[in-house]
Amino acid sequence: MRGKLNLANLAGWITLALGCVSLIGATIYNHQILAFIGLGLTFWGIILTYIRSEEYVKESFMDAACLSPLEALNQLMDKLGYTEKAVYLPPKYMKEPENSKAFIPKGKLSTLPKPEQTQREDIDLSIENPEGLLITPPGNDLTKLFEKTLETSFTTVDFQYLQLNFPKIFIEELEIAQDIEIKMENNKIHVKLENSPYTHLAKEISKLSKVYESLGCPLSSAIACALAKATGKPVKIEKQEINEAARTMMIEYSLLEEDAKS
Amino acid sequence: MNFPLGFWDISLLTAISAIILLITSEMLSPHYGKINILVNRKRLKHASITFSIIFLATVAVKVISILTS
Repeated sequence: MRGKLNLANLAGWITLALGCVSLIGATIYNHQILAFIGLGLTFWGIILTYIRSEEYVKESFMDAACLSPLEALNQLMDKLGYTEKAVYLPPKYMKEPENSKAFIPKGKLSTLPKPEQTQREDIDLSIENPEGLLITPPGNDLTKLFEKTLETSFTTVDFQYLQLNFPKIFIEELEIAQDIEIKMENNKIHVKLENSPYTHLAKEISKLSKVYESLGCPLSSAIACALAKATGKPVKIEKQEINEAARTMMIEYSLLEEDAKS
Repeated sequence: MNFPLGFWDISLLTAISAIILLITSEMLSPHYGKINILVNRKRLKHASITFSIIFLATVAVKVISILTS
Protein backbone atom coordinates (compact mmCIF):
# COMPACT_ATOMS: atom_id res chain seq x y z
CA MET A 1 0.00 0.00 0.00
CA ARG A 2 2.83 2.36 0.90
CA GLY A 3 4.67 1.52 -2.35
CA LYS A 4 1.55 2.25 -4.41
CA LEU A 5 1.01 5.59 -2.68
CA ASN A 6 4.63 6.61 -3.20
CA LEU A 7 4.42 5.74 -6.89
CA ALA A 8 1.28 7.84 -7.32
CA ASN A 9 2.93 10.66 -5.44
CA LEU A 10 6.07 10.39 -7.55
CA ALA A 11 4.01 10.48 -10.77
CA GLY A 12 2.41 13.71 -9.61
CA TRP A 13 5.71 15.37 -8.79
CA ILE A 14 7.34 14.23 -12.07
CA THR A 15 4.40 15.61 -14.09
CA LEU A 16 4.60 18.87 -12.17
CA ALA A 17 8.37 19.13 -12.73
CA LEU A 18 7.99 18.41 -16.47
CA GLY A 19 5.28 21.06 -16.67
CA CYS A 20 7.49 23.66 -15.00
CA VAL A 21 10.41 22.80 -17.31
CA SER A 22 8.10 23.11 -20.35
CA LEU A 23 6.83 26.49 -19.13
CA ILE A 24 10.40 27.77 -18.64
CA GLY A 25 11.33 26.43 -22.10
CA ALA A 26 8.27 28.09 -23.64
CA THR A 27 9.23 31.41 -22.05
CA ILE A 28 12.85 31.18 -23.23
CA TYR A 29 12.05 30.08 -26.79
CA ASN A 30 8.73 31.94 -27.02
CA HIS A 31 7.02 28.71 -28.08
CA GLN A 32 3.19 28.62 -27.83
CA ILE A 33 2.66 24.83 -28.08
CA LEU A 34 5.30 24.20 -25.44
CA ALA A 35 3.48 26.69 -23.20
CA PHE A 36 0.18 24.81 -23.60
CA ILE A 37 1.92 21.48 -22.89
CA GLY A 38 3.58 23.05 -19.85
CA LEU A 39 0.31 24.41 -18.49
CA GLY A 40 -1.43 21.07 -19.05
CA LEU A 41 1.32 19.11 -17.32
CA THR A 42 1.46 21.59 -14.43
CA PHE A 43 -2.31 21.35 -14.03
CA TRP A 44 -2.32 17.54 -13.93
CA GLY A 45 0.79 17.54 -11.73
CA ILE A 46 -0.96 19.71 -9.16
CA ILE A 47 -4.12 17.59 -9.38
CA LEU A 48 -2.22 14.29 -8.99
CA THR A 49 -0.18 15.63 -6.09
CA TYR A 50 -3.10 17.23 -4.29
CA ILE A 51 -5.88 14.70 -4.88
CA ARG A 52 -4.77 11.42 -3.38
CA SER A 53 -6.65 8.21 -2.83
CA GLU A 54 -8.45 7.97 0.49
CA GLU A 55 -7.50 5.40 3.07
CA TYR A 56 -9.92 2.51 3.04
CA VAL A 57 -10.07 -0.80 4.85
CA LYS A 58 -11.07 -3.95 3.01
CA GLU A 59 -14.52 -5.30 3.85
CA SER A 60 -13.12 -8.76 4.65
CA PHE A 61 -10.71 -7.21 7.16
CA MET A 62 -13.56 -5.22 8.72
CA ASP A 63 -15.66 -8.38 9.10
CA ALA A 64 -12.81 -10.27 10.76
CA ALA A 65 -11.83 -7.42 13.07
CA CYS A 66 -15.40 -6.60 14.11
CA LEU A 67 -16.83 -10.03 14.68
CA SER A 68 -14.46 -11.47 17.31
CA PRO A 69 -15.10 -8.86 20.07
CA LEU A 70 -18.84 -9.09 19.44
CA GLU A 71 -18.66 -12.86 19.54
CA ALA A 72 -16.93 -12.65 22.93
CA LEU A 73 -19.66 -10.32 24.19
CA ASN A 74 -22.28 -12.69 22.78
CA GLN A 75 -20.76 -15.64 24.67
CA LEU A 76 -20.58 -13.59 27.85
CA MET A 77 -24.23 -12.56 27.62
CA ASP A 78 -25.24 -16.12 26.84
CA LYS A 79 -23.35 -17.51 29.85
CA LEU A 80 -24.72 -14.87 32.22
CA GLY A 81 -28.23 -15.35 30.90
CA TYR A 82 -28.87 -11.81 29.65
CA THR A 83 -31.33 -12.05 26.79
CA GLU A 84 -33.50 -8.96 27.22
CA LYS A 85 -33.29 -5.94 24.96
CA ALA A 86 -30.79 -3.30 26.06
CA VAL A 87 -31.89 0.21 26.96
CA TYR A 88 -29.63 3.00 25.76
CA LEU A 89 -29.43 5.51 28.55
CA PRO A 90 -29.57 9.29 27.99
CA PRO A 91 -26.68 11.59 29.10
CA LYS A 92 -28.18 12.42 32.52
CA TYR A 93 -27.40 8.84 33.60
CA MET A 94 -23.71 9.31 32.80
CA LYS A 95 -20.93 10.90 34.79
CA GLU A 96 -19.31 11.83 31.45
CA PRO A 97 -22.17 12.73 29.08
CA GLU A 98 -20.02 12.21 25.97
CA ASN A 99 -19.92 8.48 26.72
CA SER A 100 -22.88 6.22 26.16
CA LYS A 101 -24.03 3.31 28.27
CA ALA A 102 -26.59 0.61 27.72
CA PHE A 103 -28.46 -1.19 30.45
CA ILE A 104 -29.34 -4.84 29.86
CA PRO A 105 -31.92 -5.99 32.42
CA LYS A 106 -31.61 -9.49 33.85
CA GLY A 107 -35.31 -10.19 33.54
CA LYS A 108 -38.17 -8.34 31.91
CA LEU A 109 -37.59 -4.60 32.19
CA SER A 110 -39.64 -3.25 35.07
CA THR A 111 -37.78 -0.08 35.87
CA LEU A 112 -34.57 1.65 34.88
CA PRO A 113 -31.71 2.18 37.32
CA LYS A 114 -31.53 5.61 38.93
CA PRO A 115 -28.97 8.15 37.62
CA GLU A 116 -27.24 8.03 41.04
CA GLN A 117 -26.66 4.30 40.55
CA THR A 118 -25.17 4.63 37.07
CA GLN A 119 -23.07 7.70 37.86
CA ARG A 120 -21.17 6.04 40.71
CA GLU A 121 -17.44 5.84 40.10
CA ASP A 122 -17.00 2.48 41.79
CA ILE A 123 -19.63 0.87 39.62
CA ASP A 124 -18.67 -2.40 37.97
CA LEU A 125 -20.32 -4.24 35.12
CA SER A 126 -23.39 -5.39 36.99
CA ILE A 127 -25.80 -3.34 39.07
CA GLU A 128 -28.53 -4.39 41.44
CA ASN A 129 -32.06 -3.21 42.01
CA PRO A 130 -32.93 -3.41 39.16
CA GLU A 131 -30.55 -6.23 38.35
CA GLY A 132 -28.76 -5.88 35.07
CA LEU A 133 -25.60 -5.17 33.15
CA LEU A 134 -24.37 -1.66 32.48
CA ILE A 135 -22.03 -1.77 29.53
CA THR A 136 -20.50 0.46 26.89
CA PRO A 137 -22.47 -0.35 23.73
CA PRO A 138 -20.72 -1.45 20.49
CA GLY A 139 -21.67 1.81 18.74
CA ASN A 140 -20.25 4.18 21.38
CA ASP A 141 -17.16 5.20 19.42
CA LEU A 142 -19.07 5.34 16.16
CA THR A 143 -21.36 7.94 17.76
CA LYS A 144 -18.28 9.90 18.82
CA LEU A 145 -17.08 9.72 15.21
CA PHE A 146 -20.46 11.14 14.05
CA GLU A 147 -20.10 13.96 16.57
CA LYS A 148 -16.52 14.64 15.53
CA THR A 149 -17.55 14.72 11.87
CA LEU A 150 -20.36 17.17 12.56
CA GLU A 151 -18.21 19.10 15.06
CA THR A 152 -20.95 19.02 17.65
CA SER A 153 -22.14 17.10 20.68
CA PHE A 154 -25.44 15.26 20.31
CA THR A 155 -26.23 16.23 23.91
CA THR A 156 -26.72 19.82 22.73
CA VAL A 157 -28.95 19.09 19.71
CA ASP A 158 -32.46 17.77 19.16
CA PHE A 159 -34.06 15.06 17.03
CA GLN A 160 -34.65 17.45 14.09
CA TYR A 161 -30.92 18.11 13.96
CA LEU A 162 -30.24 14.39 13.61
CA GLN A 163 -32.90 14.10 10.92
CA LEU A 164 -31.22 16.90 8.97
CA ASN A 165 -27.61 15.88 9.51
CA PHE A 166 -27.58 12.09 9.46
CA PRO A 167 -27.79 12.04 5.63
CA LYS A 168 -24.65 14.20 5.56
CA ILE A 169 -22.74 11.75 7.76
CA PHE A 170 -24.01 8.53 6.22
CA ILE A 171 -23.99 9.57 2.56
CA GLU A 172 -21.36 12.27 2.11
CA GLU A 173 -18.85 11.81 4.90
CA LEU A 174 -18.73 8.12 5.76
CA GLU A 175 -20.29 6.85 2.51
CA ILE A 176 -21.96 3.88 4.18
CA ALA A 177 -25.32 4.36 2.49
CA GLN A 178 -26.71 5.95 -0.63
CA ASP A 179 -29.82 7.14 1.13
CA ILE A 180 -31.10 7.34 4.69
CA GLU A 181 -34.60 8.01 5.91
CA ILE A 182 -35.48 8.88 9.52
CA LYS A 183 -39.07 9.19 10.67
CA MET A 184 -40.67 9.57 14.08
CA GLU A 185 -44.20 8.38 14.84
CA ASN A 186 -45.58 8.24 18.38
CA ASN A 187 -42.30 7.66 20.21
CA LYS A 188 -41.20 5.19 17.53
CA ILE A 189 -38.31 6.10 15.28
CA HIS A 190 -37.85 4.35 11.95
CA VAL A 191 -34.47 4.46 10.23
CA LYS A 192 -34.01 3.09 6.73
CA LEU A 193 -30.63 2.75 5.06
CA GLU A 194 -30.57 2.14 1.33
CA ASN A 195 -27.84 0.66 -0.83
CA SER A 196 -25.48 0.28 2.08
CA PRO A 197 -22.34 -1.87 1.76
CA TYR A 198 -22.56 -2.28 5.54
CA THR A 199 -25.49 -4.73 5.24
CA HIS A 200 -23.07 -7.61 4.64
CA LEU A 201 -21.35 -7.07 8.00
CA ALA A 202 -24.70 -6.48 9.71
CA LYS A 203 -25.94 -9.81 8.35
CA GLU A 204 -22.88 -11.56 9.79
CA ILE A 205 -23.43 -9.87 13.16
CA SER A 206 -27.09 -10.95 13.15
CA LYS A 207 -25.83 -14.53 13.56
CA LEU A 208 -24.66 -13.53 17.05
CA SER A 209 -28.21 -13.65 18.30
CA LYS A 210 -27.77 -12.46 21.91
CA VAL A 211 -25.80 -9.32 21.08
CA TYR A 212 -27.78 -8.58 17.94
CA GLU A 213 -31.20 -8.95 19.57
CA SER A 214 -30.20 -6.98 22.65
CA LEU A 215 -27.69 -4.30 21.64
CA GLY A 216 -27.93 -4.42 17.84
CA CYS A 217 -25.06 -4.16 15.39
CA PRO A 218 -22.48 -1.36 15.85
CA LEU A 219 -24.32 0.91 13.40
CA SER A 220 -27.80 0.50 14.88
CA SER A 221 -26.19 0.82 18.30
CA ALA A 222 -24.48 4.06 17.27
CA ILE A 223 -27.78 5.49 16.01
CA ALA A 224 -29.43 4.44 19.30
CA CYS A 225 -26.67 6.23 21.28
CA ALA A 226 -27.16 9.36 19.17
CA LEU A 227 -30.95 9.24 19.63
CA ALA A 228 -30.60 8.80 23.39
CA LYS A 229 -28.25 11.77 23.55
CA ALA A 230 -30.36 14.03 21.34
CA THR A 231 -33.79 13.20 22.71
CA GLY A 232 -32.69 12.82 26.33
CA LYS A 233 -34.85 9.69 26.61
CA PRO A 234 -33.92 6.04 27.04
CA VAL A 235 -33.91 4.26 23.70
CA LYS A 236 -34.54 0.63 22.84
CA ILE A 237 -33.95 -1.14 19.53
CA GLU A 238 -37.27 -2.81 18.77
CA LYS A 239 -36.72 -4.34 15.36
CA GLN A 240 -33.97 -4.74 12.79
CA GLU A 241 -34.46 -5.99 9.26
CA ILE A 242 -31.59 -6.57 6.87
CA ASN A 243 -32.03 -7.32 3.21
CA GLU A 244 -28.58 -8.24 1.97
CA ALA A 245 -29.68 -8.67 -1.65
CA ALA A 246 -31.31 -5.23 -1.82
CA ARG A 247 -28.61 -3.82 0.50
CA THR A 248 -31.21 -2.18 2.70
CA MET A 249 -31.48 -2.05 6.45
CA MET A 250 -34.49 -1.00 8.51
CA ILE A 251 -34.26 -0.32 12.21
CA GLU A 252 -37.08 0.57 14.57
CA TYR A 253 -36.35 2.32 17.85
CA SER A 254 -38.67 3.19 20.67
CA LEU A 255 -38.27 6.09 23.06
CA LEU A 256 -39.08 5.03 26.60
CA GLU A 257 -40.46 7.14 29.38
CA GLU A 258 -38.15 7.37 32.40
CA ASP A 259 -40.13 5.21 34.82
CA ALA A 260 -42.44 3.49 32.38
CA LYS A 261 -42.37 -0.18 31.71
CA SER A 262 -41.39 -1.38 28.25
CA MET B 1 11.92 36.22 -23.11
CA ASN B 2 8.17 36.61 -23.30
CA PHE B 3 5.55 34.17 -22.12
CA PRO B 4 3.82 33.14 -25.37
CA LEU B 5 0.28 32.90 -23.96
CA GLY B 6 -2.02 35.81 -23.30
CA PHE B 7 -4.36 36.46 -20.40
CA TRP B 8 -7.37 35.13 -22.34
CA ASP B 9 -5.55 31.88 -23.17
CA ILE B 10 -4.91 31.25 -19.49
CA SER B 11 -8.50 32.18 -18.70
CA LEU B 12 -9.78 29.69 -21.29
CA LEU B 13 -7.50 26.96 -19.93
CA THR B 14 -8.70 27.50 -16.34
CA ALA B 15 -12.31 27.48 -17.60
CA ILE B 16 -11.82 24.10 -19.28
CA SER B 17 -9.96 22.70 -16.27
CA ALA B 18 -12.66 23.95 -13.90
CA ILE B 19 -15.43 22.38 -15.99
CA ILE B 20 -13.60 19.02 -16.14
CA LEU B 21 -13.01 19.03 -12.39
CA LEU B 22 -16.53 20.17 -11.51
CA ILE B 23 -18.12 17.48 -13.68
CA THR B 24 -15.79 14.81 -12.29
CA SER B 25 -16.44 15.92 -8.74
CA GLU B 26 -20.21 15.83 -9.29
CA MET B 27 -20.10 12.46 -11.06
CA LEU B 28 -18.16 10.91 -8.17
CA SER B 29 -20.65 12.18 -5.60
CA PRO B 30 -21.82 9.39 -3.24
CA HIS B 31 -25.39 10.54 -3.89
CA TYR B 32 -25.15 8.75 -7.25
CA GLY B 33 -23.75 5.55 -5.75
CA LYS B 34 -20.22 5.88 -7.13
CA ILE B 35 -18.67 5.03 -3.82
CA ASN B 36 -16.25 2.45 -5.18
CA ILE B 37 -13.77 4.96 -6.61
CA LEU B 38 -11.05 5.57 -4.05
CA VAL B 39 -10.43 9.28 -4.52
CA ASN B 40 -10.42 11.94 -1.87
CA ARG B 41 -13.64 13.62 -2.96
CA LYS B 42 -13.28 16.55 -0.61
CA ARG B 43 -9.95 17.53 -2.12
CA LEU B 44 -11.35 17.05 -5.64
CA LYS B 45 -14.23 19.35 -4.76
CA HIS B 46 -11.85 21.93 -3.30
CA ALA B 47 -9.64 21.80 -6.42
CA SER B 48 -12.65 22.23 -8.73
CA ILE B 49 -13.96 25.19 -6.72
CA THR B 50 -10.49 26.78 -6.65
CA PHE B 51 -10.15 26.51 -10.43
CA SER B 52 -13.66 27.92 -10.90
CA ILE B 53 -12.78 30.89 -8.67
CA ILE B 54 -9.54 31.47 -10.60
CA PHE B 55 -11.48 31.46 -13.87
CA LEU B 56 -14.13 33.83 -12.49
CA ALA B 57 -11.36 36.10 -11.22
CA THR B 58 -9.82 36.28 -14.70
CA VAL B 59 -13.25 37.17 -16.11
CA ALA B 60 -13.67 39.86 -13.46
CA VAL B 61 -10.24 41.30 -14.28
CA LYS B 62 -11.15 41.40 -17.96
CA VAL B 63 -14.53 43.05 -17.28
CA ILE B 64 -12.91 45.68 -15.07
CA SER B 65 -10.25 46.38 -17.69
CA ILE B 66 -12.97 46.80 -20.37
CA LEU B 67 -14.99 49.14 -18.12
CA THR B 68 -12.01 51.28 -17.20
CA SER B 69 -10.55 51.53 -20.70
